Amino acid sequence: MSARTRAVGEPQASPEIVAAVFHGVSVSDAVAVLVIEQVGGVFRVGWSNERVATLLGYGPADLHAVAVEQLLPSLGGGELKLLLRRERTVHMTLPVRCASGALLDCVVSAVPVPPPAGRRWTLRVASTANETERALRATADASERRFATLTERSPVPTLLSEQGMRLAHVNDAFCALVGTQAEQLLGTGWLDAVHPDDLETVVEQAIAVLEGGDREAQARLVRQDGTERSTVIRFAHVFTPGAGAGFIGTIEDITDRLAFEARLAHQANHDPLTGLPNRTLLAEHVAERFRPGAGGLACIFLDLDNFKVVNDSLGHTVGDALLVEVAQRLRSTVRPGDLVARFGGDEFVVVCQQVSEDGAVALAERIGEALHRPLTLSGVELHPRASVGVTVQTAEHSAAEELIRDCDIAMYQAKAAGKGRITVLDSEARAQARDKLRLVADLREAIGRRELTLMYQPIFSTADGSAVTVESLARWQHPERGAIPPSTFVPLAEESGLVSALGSLVLDETCRQLAEWDRRLGSRAPQRANVNVSALQLDVNLHGHVQAALQRHGLPASRLSIEITESALMKDPASARAVLLQLRELGVQVSIDDFGTGYSSLAYLRHLPVDCLKVDRSFVAELADGHPEITTAVIALARSLGLDTVAEGVETREQADELARLGATYLQGFSLAAPLSGEDAAVWFADTATATPGAVRHPDLELT
Amino acid sequence: MTPSAAPSLTVAPVFDLERVLGSIDRMAAQRPVAAQVVAETNSDRASAKELSRLLGADVALAGRVMKLANSAFYGMRGRVTSLQFAVTVVGFGTVRTMATVALTDLDDESLLPEDFWEVSTTLALAASTLAPRFAERPQDALCLGLLAQMGVALLHHNDPDGYAELWSTHRSAVARRTAEVHRYGISALRLTSVALEQWGFPAGMLVPLKQVDDDASFSGALLRSAFEVTGRLTDGDHEETPIERVSCGQLRERDVAPVLAQVRTDAEELRAALLG
Repeated sequence: MSARTRAVGEPQASPEIVAAVFHGVSVSDAVAVLVIEQVGGVFRVGWSNERVATLLGYGPADLHAVAVEQLLPSLGGGELKLLLRRERTVHMTLPVRCASGALLDCVVSAVPVPPPAGRRWTLRVASTANETERALRATADASERRFATLTERSPVPTLLSEQGMRLAHVNDAFCALVGTQAEQLLGTGWLDAVHPDDLETVVEQAIAVLEGGDREAQARLVRQDGTERSTVIRFAHVFTPGAGAGFIGTIEDITDRLAFEARLAHQANHDPLTGLPNRTLLAEHVAERFRPGAGGLACIFLDLDNFKVVNDSLGHTVGDALLVEVAQRLRSTVRPGDLVARFGGDEFVVVCQQVSEDGAVALAERIGEALHRPLTLSGVELHPRASVGVTVQTAEHSAAEELIRDCDIAMYQAKAAGKGRITVLDSEARAQARDKLRLVADLREAIGRRELTLMYQPIFSTADGSAVTVESLARWQHPERGAIPPSTFVPLAEESGLVSALGSLVLDETCRQLAEWDRRLGSRAPQRANVNVSALQLDVNLHGHVQAALQRHGLPASRLSIEITESALMKDPASARAVLLQLRELGVQVSIDDFGTGYSSLAYLRHLPVDCLKVDRSFVAELADGHPEITTAVIALARSLGLDTVAEGVETREQADELARLGATYLQGFSLAAPLSGEDAAVWFADTATATPGAVRHPDLELT
Repeated sequence: MTPSAAPSLTVAPVFDLERVLGSIDRMAAQRPVAAQVVAETNSDRASAKELSRLLGADVALAGRVMKLANSAFYGMRGRVTSLQFAVTVVGFGTVRTMATVALTDLDDESLLPEDFWEVSTTLALAASTLAPRFAERPQDALCLGLLAQMGVALLHHNDPDGYAELWSTHRSAVARRTAEVHRYGISALRLTSVALEQWGFPAGMLVPLKQVDDDASFSGALLRSAFEVTGRLTDGDHEETPIERVSCGQLRERDVAPVLAQVRTDAEELRAALLG
């Protein structure tokens, strides 16, 4: 708004008021004012107050003698017109010359005096800064310089944006990191140093920071020479009052750390010997690619045949060299994109995608051929072979692990069918395998609920025909499948780690039953019960289990006999002997079951703490064919070692008579007495004892 | 200021300077929102919220700010969706510059000398790129460079034919300024500083404009160097002045080459973003 405009709307001031204002201004120590007038084309100071004279260091009269161009030197060359405008007030920041000749930065406001006063202007002069402001500015400047120095010399690569993504500053460390000059990085140039694939992330985080807060982004920076550095860029919001939002970015070069972590991850997921992915990575690989119902995924499971022979005969170093060679051959035989993993030991798995069953089998055949090429290790020529199981994903596969499990099964089938074979797990085989898995689950449940029952088959003494002992026989009545024979569920328990629980159940239940018979039958109760023990139970824990079961039911150890098969004993005769000795010391009898069917060393037999040999039913059966040789020999052997004998599978009176004649101590057979439930056995023993007191005899057989 | 280097107003003007200066006030009245934005951004209390509120009343200006914020020049890749964020991205100084451009009709190229914006954007980017060498903020230098030639536009508005002839006849910055003073009694740069001062721009921004012709003035060195770089980039007949001299020793010739390449690339981008 111009001075003229202002004057029009205001009431005319009285001469007294004008005089009062003039006096106030002339003696004011707050406002520095002077009046410039133009006379004959020349500008001069027409009037000044005390304050302006003091501010500029002039005496009251001296200021009038100073040319205006000299007072305002930056407006030389006729530029006074820019300040002294006819129709408007002008504010300018100018240097004003003091009496000393020094220049004082001032804000000068020139107000034109309205006509008829002629060409006159009132100038208000104010120094631009007082001492406090100067001190504050100096402090701020010093602070900014310190920060700049800190940033410049910091070894941490640093970016500074004052507005948006445009950099105002990068330090030397950042220039060194990307191998580029600062000029090329300023503005948005630094974004060119970000790897194109990571640019989006960096921009996203930086933009979020511009709106406030802190963020970080992991990004690769591409150096001028094309090499890459992996970094973490940490952004912090910066707001400059009066300017806008920017950020400070500090960069951590994590290339070496990532490389180290990658090495660790590689070590965690790869087999150190062959460098192949290990079982963990295999599982992840298959899981990532497995889509239920999609198909097209195939697994080939290889197990080297006779690898143990190589290891045992040529040593582990040669064994390792063979594994490395096999790994190499597998890698060079599979298709690009197929995964070769070392599953463990001498087992390898190949995973293929987009392949038919025929394609998978063809690949398995190529692998077999590649493996079979001869190689010489430690001077020995080897022709490696593998048993190979192949599975192609079907709609029945609901999880990735099923695929690996199925090809494992297929491999075992191949191994079982004869080494060096390829087996494809067809739907029937898969169904069988799954059926077996279900059965294992049912068995686990049945054992937990004590749903397995025991039958007790009496064993007769040939001396007086009395039933002196029973053999506990486990029976499983499946709720849906009916009776499952022991020949099915015992091996199943052994394979699936359930044999210990099964053995404990049989042991405990037998002891419980004996104790119950004792209570009900008194002296007519069976003198002893025989319990079968699996080879897998024959360990240091067996003694404790037996002792605990006897104690639980208050029975002496002599009431129990442990039956163990000949083949189980021969798996590890030394440790078997130690376990049996413990049982013998406890007072438990030990019988060797199915004697004569294995390949016992007679020398071992002499040293084993055994009380009784059970003659296998196959030899007993031969009696009817006129071949008593083996039975005779076994009974004679037992007798010579001071051992009792039990002849199993006695089916006829003739057999019984013959066995008694040969010297067998005890007889056991279905026709002598079928296995009975605990309750039926109680009745049977009570009745038999009542019928023939003093000589308990089987009702159908007359033993002599 | 070195009197011998400074063009003088003493030469008889053929032009009513008072009228030109008066037009600066009228411009503000014609674009009140832009004038308000200029006033607000000159305040220490300026906030993005208040600025965006003001800008919202001038759809054309707000649109230009949004467009600039999302331009490749700021590297934001089209992610600026609010006016307030746009203001923080481009900075208050740039918003003020754009408002000033709108005030003075600088966005209408038909009212400007040929290649006006090519020179202005090149000057702005040269100043912005060189700013760190002179311990100046690039963003401030960018704004100064964009507005430095506002006086050219004012003179051209008032004397289209005469100024167009002057513009094409005198290619170097110094020669133009001398010719401007000769014809109008004031150089375009000086006129810029007067207008900006009148609109309340901070004194620090005006000093380089006032001292650009004083080769001994460090305050004018950045703008002087930017003019030299601009001449080299935009004028095929440019007679080079050693960069050491115009920069008060802050730059050497080998520093200039990378700047030339970068400025050349960015100038067109900035011009497109500013003018659409």
